[in-house]
Amino acid sequence: MPPLINTAPGIGGCKPPLRRPLFLAGGMCLNSPVLEVIRSPKVYDVVVIGSGAGGGAAVQVLTGKGIEVALLEAGPMLDPEKDYKEHLLPYHVDHRGAGEGGAHYFGRQPWGFFRAPNGAWELEGEPYTVAPGSEFRWFRSRILGGRTNHYGRISLRFADYDFLPYSMDGLGTDWPITYDDLAPYYDKAESFIGVTGSIEGIRSAPDGIFHPPPPPKAHEHLIKQTCTHLGIPCIPMRRAVITRPLNGRAACHYCGQCGRGCITASNYASSQVQILPALKTGKLKIFDQAMAREILSDENGRVTAVSYIDKKTRTERQIRCRVVVLAASACESTRLLLNSRSSRFPQGLSNNSGVVGRFLMDTVGLGIHGYVPALEGMPHYDTDGFSGGHVYSPWWEWDKKNKEFPRGYHIEIGGGFGMPGVGSFQGQVNRIGGYGSALKKRIRDEYGAFVYFAGRGEMIPNNLSYCELDPVTVDKWGIPVLRFHFKWSDYEWKQARHMERTFVDLIETMGGKVLGHRSPRVDGKGISVPGTIIHELGTVRMGNDPRSSALNQYCQGHEVPNLFVADAAPFVSNPDKNPTLTITALAWRTSDYIAEEMRKGHV
Amino acid sequence: MSEPGGRQGAKVSRRILLKRIAVAVASTGMLDLASGQHVHKAVSHQKERTGEYTPQAFHAGEYETLQRLSKLIVPADDHSGSALDAGAPEFIDLLSSQNEELADIFISGIFWLDREMGRRQAGRFKDASEEEQTRLLDDLAAEADGAEEALRGSRAGVEYAGFMDYTARTDRRLGPGARFFVWARRLIVDAFYTSDIGFEDVGYKGNQYLTEYEVPQEAIDYVMERSPLGTA
Repeated sequence: MPPLINTAPGIGGCKPPLRRPLFLAGGMCLNSPVLEVIRSPKVYDVVVIGSGAGGGAAVQVLTGKGIEVALLEAGPMLDPEKDYKEHLLPYHVDHRGAGEGGAHYFGRQPWGFFRAPNGAWELEGEPYTVAPGSEFRWFRSRILGGRTNHYGRISLRFADYDFLPYSMDGLGTDWPITYDDLAPYYDKAESFIGVTGSIEGIRSAPDGIFHPPPPPKAHEHLIKQTCTHLGIPCIPMRRAVITRPLNGRAACHYCGQCGRGCITASNYASSQVQILPALKTGKLKIFDQAMAREILSDENGRVTAVSYIDKKTRTERQIRCRVVVLAASACESTRLLLNSRSSRFPQGLSNNSGVVGRFLMDTVGLGIHGYVPALEGMPHYDTDGFSGGHVYSPWWEWDKKNKEFPRGYHIEIGGGFGMPGVGSFQGQVNRIGGYGSALKKRIRDEYGAFVYFAGRGEMIPNNLSYCELDPVTVDKWGIPVLRFHFKWSDYEWKQARHMERTFVDLIETMGGKVLGHRSPRVDGKGISVPGTIIHELGTVRMGNDPRSSALNQYCQGHEVPNLFVADAAPFVSNPDKNPTLTITALAWRTSDYIAEEMRKGHV
Repeated sequence: MSEPGGRQGAKVSRRILLKRIAVAVASTGMLDLASGQHVHKAVSHQKERTGEYTPQAFHAGEYETLQRLSKLIVPADDHSGSALDAGAPEFIDLLSSQNEELADIFISGIFWLDREMGRRQAGRFKDASEEEQTRLLDDLAAEADGAEEALRGSRAGVEYAGFMDYTARTDRRLGPGARFFVWARRLIVDAFYTSDIGFEDVGYKGNQYLTEYEVPQEAIDYVMERSPLGTA
């Protein structure tokens, strides 16, 4: 009898090697003649492209106002009951989580077998390219809910000063909106999706509307004490997990497996919290396995339809609409605009400024482990809680003068008696060495005595970091793909060194030993590989000046009034706060504006 | 054109799900972690049926070698059983039966062990005395760990990348025996700690259904009493 659980759609498994990129002879071939295009007779009010945080918020707000929405998702539908492996233990599956054929051991299952369906670093038949001399990795989802099914759910408001980076230090560009413009939408977002937290009055971490946070774990008491000693704040984590029932969703049951997807929807995923419920309004039609190819516009520069590939039948279709909301993820939205060329928009839709694709940013990441003797021998207890740390450190030097690098970072914290899985103890095995009873005893004795600090910091946009259409490569549907260029600047490298010193200080102050501590100036060693923090954004930025931005303050095309962008592409900067909560708030604000403009007959 | 996953679907399944959790909680006080009881396990199934596991990827002699290695690399002690008890050979056999590249690593590695044992004394690895087997593994571990120590600089990237994929391909600079030892140790250790025996050995207590999350005061006190910054 074959094992019941063997592979999951979207993750793991022994995949065949990537299909070779396809090349079109003679360079780019846009607007290739399509033999047969199936056009929808129906004209939707709004087509939303992408079903992650931005698309989810747009669907929720627009259908809630009675607007008819067609949602295009490039991946399949999600069925949480079938797709989530929330409470399974490794020994409930024969391969123990290593995946079929031990995919884990060959780097083919980077997120683990039990992870919610999410996406991958490489998608078969959908390549992207990286320019020589650059390094960039692009994680893309192809599933209803996108990356919200698995993400860390850290939900931090931007601070007031985050909207005014240029005014603060002369670098980057100010946003066309202020904290006060977005604050009511942060309130709405937190109230609806549910976020834990506490009222702290810290300027770098504006307070919000919070569910009670779970208490700090034992090792977090020690970390908090150490932080206090070093003058670093350490406060309850703000995470999109509900600790009290909300809108029919059950409170968290603290199994600690958020990343696997939550069958009780006690954490936020756009699929479960916004999109599947929106189906009940009767105003939403979902087109899954629908890969958007191009946004079509008329001679007046207005969007009229979206062309997409129905992956199930490999046919091209068109869906007509009054408004398009792009929420395909920052770079995928960028690609779609660049691929939507016409005589009116020779550089891509709403891109007469040429900014689409520019100002690509990721988050600066660095993590260090420590072994802490004070934790050794601690009475074992359930440290799972909600997944990840119950506390974190917001940035503390935001008002310091003459810093060695601009902006700042927050610290995410790990530790505890985590669930053993494939690979869990290999770090210890490598460090301790040998085999047999001695190794077994050491692993047992050291279990739960490790801490982990991860910095997540702000990058300054630069001219060497951008994406554009690759001149020759197309995906398996013939759609030109993105080519990435990326460089960390000295600002980011200096920030990473500051992170490193801070984490070493923290670990050593609590009597611990720093593990694997190296800082050569190589991406992936002294700083995260660009793209790998999966906060890539900024490539269709908003602004007041149509010469230097593609979108206005409502994320509406300067040049195309019925085109809106609702993911993180409009971000003008990438503050250290994880982007998702701001995507939700901004998409909500944009959707309110769309509804109002539609009501007035402006779009 | 697809029909969305069912307007009713989401609601009904959610209700069933919540009900299932409620039942599990009522009967056991925690989630039925082994809703697993009904997850069929091909391995145990076959074991029950025949009383003996029939390897898919390995010959009987190779499989015996895996059994021997499992007992040596994670042996039984006064806390818990061995990696053999935890099903390590079945685990390696299952994965190898699905992946030729992995099967080759183990088959060639076992050949190497046998040849090396034959060179040191007559006979194959599995037939040697425990003392001889241990001596050979000690040599391999010394080479593997010594080289790993030297290679650690080039591996730091894996640690820093943190959430990046962890590719366990072993460095080509190791000799074939040491390289195989690292593979065998990796899979045998994983098989042990991902088993119910391994969970028990380290004392994992999580993945429960809790209505409130609490941290035992004795754990907090234990840590804070040992803090180098004092208990204040």
